[in-house]
Amino acid sequence: MDRPDYQAEIRELNLAYLMLAQQMLRGDRATALFRLGISDALADLIESMSAAKLVRMASSQMLLPCFRFDDAQLARLMAGEGRDAVSAGLHAAILAAGKAAEEAA
Amino acid sequence: MKNKTVIEEAEDVRRAVEMVQLGARMQMLEVETRLSREKLLRIYKEVRGVSPPKGMLPFSTDWFMTWQPNVHSSLFMGFHRFFVERAGVRGLDAILKSYNLYLDHIESSAMEPVLSLTRAWTLVRFFDADLLQLSTCTCCGGRFVGHAHDPVQGYVCGLCNMPSRAGSSRKKATRKAVSRTRVAVSA
Repeated sequence: MDRPDYQAEIRELNLAYLMLAQQMLRGDRATALFRLGISDALADLIESMSAAKLVRMASSQMLLPCFRFDDAQLARLMAGEGRDAVSAGLHAAILAAGKAAEEAA
Repeated sequence: MKNKTVIEEAEDVRRAVEMVQLGARMQMLEVETRLSREKLLRIYKEVRGVSPPKGMLPFSTDWFMTWQPNVHSSLFMGFHRFFVERAGVRGLDAILKSYNLYLDHIESSAMEPVLSLTRAWTLVRFFDADLLQLSTCTCCGGRFVGHAHDPVQGYVCGLCNMPSRAGSSRKKATRKAVSRTRVAVSA
């Protein structure tokens, strides 16, 4: 029986994520920290990694980027549930920015 | 104030250009750079192609309390708080980075920017002067712009408790736009 293992897809997504993260960090570090939601130490590490190391890091069984907010209400607002989609989006952005600021360093 | 070195002056020119591109008014440029007024005027004209608007800046905190501006300023202050508290960015850089993120959000949801850069800058100055504070909504936990020393107990934000007419001007505008295209199609 065929068992999908998603290896290639996971690897590709991991690598795309790591490369994007590195590019963002090298461009505007502070904004990248906000958008990625990773710690300073991890940001330093990704920023300084060689391409070969990024590829090796991406070859894992697990997805490296993980879901950012463990909050069902926020997820609903982000999806545009509410009185209207535009203000739900604004509400979600305000809550998400607040959470980013409160995350432990 | 005169610039000490040519390099510092070049840095100030770069910042002034960025601020003018984002829509800053002369008052903000004069406070945030050490360039002469004449030089700032020339930068403004070169970037925008027109003379800067004259007159004073709005100086009331009340504008930030009306529904739509309050939501937009709260979003901007959310970004600003991250940069100051978590990323160690200060002063003008924090304002410009937050404002760029704000514009990104506005653009991605196809809205009109309500908060201008000069307003955002004034907003941060109001916070520095302790005229405004961030109040936590008891319903969603988000932080929203409010008057300093307002009672925070039982505060509910304008998005959890939306006034009945909030956003209706926007809906009307889109409806108008839709009917306009319909007319154009039928004509």
